[in-house]
Amino acid sequence: MGALAHYLEAKGIATTQISLIREHTEKIHPPRALWVPFDLGRPLGVPDDPSFQKKVLISALELLNARSGPVLVDFSEEAPVGADDSDTAQEAWSCPISFSAPEQAETDLEKQVSALRREMTELMPWYDKRRKEQSRTAVANFEPDAAADLLCDYLLDQSPEPGDSEMPLAVAIRLAVQDLKTFYYEAATHQPGTTPPTSREFARWFWTQTAAGHLIRSVSEKCKTEPDKSLQMTGKAFLVPMGW
Amino acid sequence: MARLENLAEPMRSHIADLPCPQFDQTPWVNVPELANQRIALISTAGLHRRGDRPFGGMDGDFRVIDGTSRAEDLVMTHISTNFDRTGFQQDWNVVFPIDRLRQLADENRIGSVADFHYSFMGAADPSKMEPSAENLAGLLKGDNVDAAVLIPV
Repeated sequence: MGALAHYLEAKGIATTQISLIREHTEKIHPPRALWVPFDLGRPLGVPDDPSFQKKVLISALELLNARSGPVLVDFSEEAPVGADDSDTAQEAWSCPISFSAPEQAETDLEKQVSALRREMTELMPWYDKRRKEQSRTAVANFEPDAAADLLCDYLLDQSPEPGDSEMPLAVAIRLAVQDLKTFYYEAATHQPGTTPPTSREFARWFWTQTAAGHLIRSVSEKCKTEPDKSLQMTGKAFLVPMGW
Repeated sequence: MARLENLAEPMRSHIADLPCPQFDQTPWVNVPELANQRIALISTAGLHRRGDRPFGGMDGDFRVIDGTSRAEDLVMTHISTNFDRTGFQQDWNVVFPIDRLRQLADENRIGSVADFHYSFMGAADPSKMEPSAENLAGLLKGDNVDAAVLIPV
């Protein structure tokens, strides 16, 4: 981010920026930066809190009033309570859905695929309800069933079809994984009585308690064994977050 | 939280060890009073309009986000899996605060909101972003933008 500020400012466009990693900004010394103590992925601090977001944005914009630099200022507030996502935060959130037990007499991979399909069947009504009630979904490229089809076909060596013939399989798998996670988030948080989890709570649930998380790990492991370098890299770095 | 000391391993070491580009000096452009500035947003969250090309690699290219875009128009295809996406799934303003910027324009805290905004995919090598950024500076000038707010993810 700081490098972009250098490039743009050198070409005559003034910049101010938010910094999530202060140590990096200190090294890169862009013209104007506001360091914020928020989660990676949440540079404005917290969703659905316009007044807090506005405060952060104004603080970044006001650095444009400085007459010389570089300027690196710390934002003075933590994200509001409830947005705490540190590793010591409470991790009490759980999805109200209790997924069905697996079928017997299947290979391990077939069991993983069946379990994913069952979970998705149980989540789908909440996803559909949400889609009817809200115009927005963050699902980007693969509708949930298409994402599951691609990942399951890949895992079972059944000629996975990326949909877009020009899309490399490694890219398609990465995007399908992101869309599948988005489906789980949007469905699980749209059930009655559910409050949005912190990112840490959602990650813990998804990666430790769902068949989807289990299956994605298997996809990741399979990618690592591929001769194709981009599939190898995708399996190593782009499917399962560090620490999970 | 994005305090290095609070991140769990191996994430903490991964981020601490990321190479940072070196710059001998910091460029500086003077701008009018904030209330008279035209502002654009530039994200590195791998955002683009639905149907636009997903970010597929480390090319350092960017996507154009029309200023009339609505929340349902914007999706994220950043290559990294090591940051939270649930905030964006809940509210695009936590990553791309365009509604907040529009509010500030309505309140005359800034001059105006640019017609176009932009997103890179921040995992790309910064040196690969340099030619794109030079091109982008021309586009921003064409939109009469005074200043850009750069927002990481």
